[in-house]
Amino acid sequence: MTSLTKYGNWPVYAVWGLILAGAALSSAADSPEPTYHSTVSEVRLTLFATDEHNHSIDNLRSSDLAVVDNEFVVRKFRSFNLSSETNLDLVVLVDSSQSVLPHFRKEITEVLQLISQAQWTPDDNVSIVTFDGMEPHTICAGNCRSSFSADRAATLSTGGDTPLFDAMAWAARFLMQRRDPAVRPVIILFSDGEDTSSKVSAREAFEDLVMSEAQVYAVDVNRSVPASSGTLTLKRMAEVSGGRYVSIGEGAVKILHAVLDDLHSAYVLTYAPPASVAEFHSVRVLPTRNLNLQFRCRRGYYHPGSNDKKRSP
Amino acid sequence: MKRAFLLILLLNACSPFLMAQIGIYQHGSVVRMHMGDCVLARHGFMATFGGPAAPVAQEPCPEYTLLSDKVVFVIVGKSSNQLIPLAEIIDFRFHNNELAVRVDDAKRETKFTIREMILRSEWERTQQHIEERLRASYDPAVDRTIGTRNQP
Repeated sequence: MTSLTKYGNWPVYAVWGLILAGAALSSAADSPEPTYHSTVSEVRLTLFATDEHNHSIDNLRSSDLAVVDNEFVVRKFRSFNLSSETNLDLVVLVDSSQSVLPHFRKEITEVLQLISQAQWTPDDNVSIVTFDGMEPHTICAGNCRSSFSADRAATLSTGGDTPLFDAMAWAARFLMQRRDPAVRPVIILFSDGEDTSSKVSAREAFEDLVMSEAQVYAVDVNRSVPASSGTLTLKRMAEVSGGRYVSIGEGAVKILHAVLDDLHSAYVLTYAPPASVAEFHSVRVLPTRNLNLQFRCRRGYYHPGSNDKKRSP
Repeated sequence: MKRAFLLILLLNACSPFLMAQIGIYQHGSVVRMHMGDCVLARHGFMATFGGPAAPVAQEPCPEYTLLSDKVVFVIVGKSSNQLIPLAEIIDFRFHNNELAVRVDDAKRETKFTIREMILRSEWERTQQHIEERLRASYDPAVDRTIGTRNQP
């Protein structure tokens, strides 16, 4: 009898339950589709392979190489593809300080013109940013292929100081904010490598660069012999990011070809990072068979868990 | 005489291949590699009476952790460019207190100083212990921040 009293009102509860469920369903239908987030820990490496004659290799297989990630040898990759299947997010950084742009305006204009007219895929983004004085100036963001012209390059304004590290950090964070795993971030930098007025330190700029995973193609406008400290800075930026260092003396067409050849001949591989408490993972790619193969890629990455910087451009 | 000399040369060149055929090599896999201190290999009379060692270039040497069936070897190269291809399986053999490594069908061997030898079972126990400690020190809050940061 007691139990009957206890559960005697079940039809009422059932009706209320149905009403509440219906209300919940209708509100779910009104709201946008639920988004599920999960943490995927994956390292993405863009790499270039050359043979003993420094020629690009276009038939590389994943079994030809191994990644040494913080000492651990990784041979099993989640994916391995030619990078031509990946879209680009390209930022062209131009040092527009008095010491650079007025002296190399013709050369830089030529390269910018070629870059804006190059054969990019429809989904590639090209941005052009100049830096002098206190902050970087965006000439065009993302849509430079359609909006940039030689006339505009010829009239780029020039300033006094050179905030190179500020500009590099800005570009890195700009790319980080737009980061999409399916897009490769790339920076083409025209500079003499000398910094005179940055608020950001060289170390911070390099850290941001590594975090952005962008490759730097450093175009050196220095013609001094022996190499200046600026040249060394540019070489270091290219080396750390797995990019390339080129001199403006090589000419606009050659510079463009160097960059485009690289962008089209790269491979992109992904793998699960080995367990480690280290914030920074050094990375090296080595051959599994042919010791004549040479690989170029970024020197390391910050483990996703350690990346808590939220500075914005 | 000339023929004998040629025969010796030929045998010498083919020796790693012959040894592979005979089955002299053991097999293993490199699981770790890093550039570390070079091992100064000075032994015997010269090490005792030869005076202080000549200054050695401060270049790092490659150090490999090589897993075989029963033993784990930590081997060190003698120069910074003494690299071995990181194939899944490599062949090696003992040679005068050193480890001679042969890779795939390479016709030559490269010799490494043995820095450490550990029983594989013991090495695996240590690795397991390290992994457990890593898992214990893992902070799930870190992953939550990643999830939040990646939200659109």
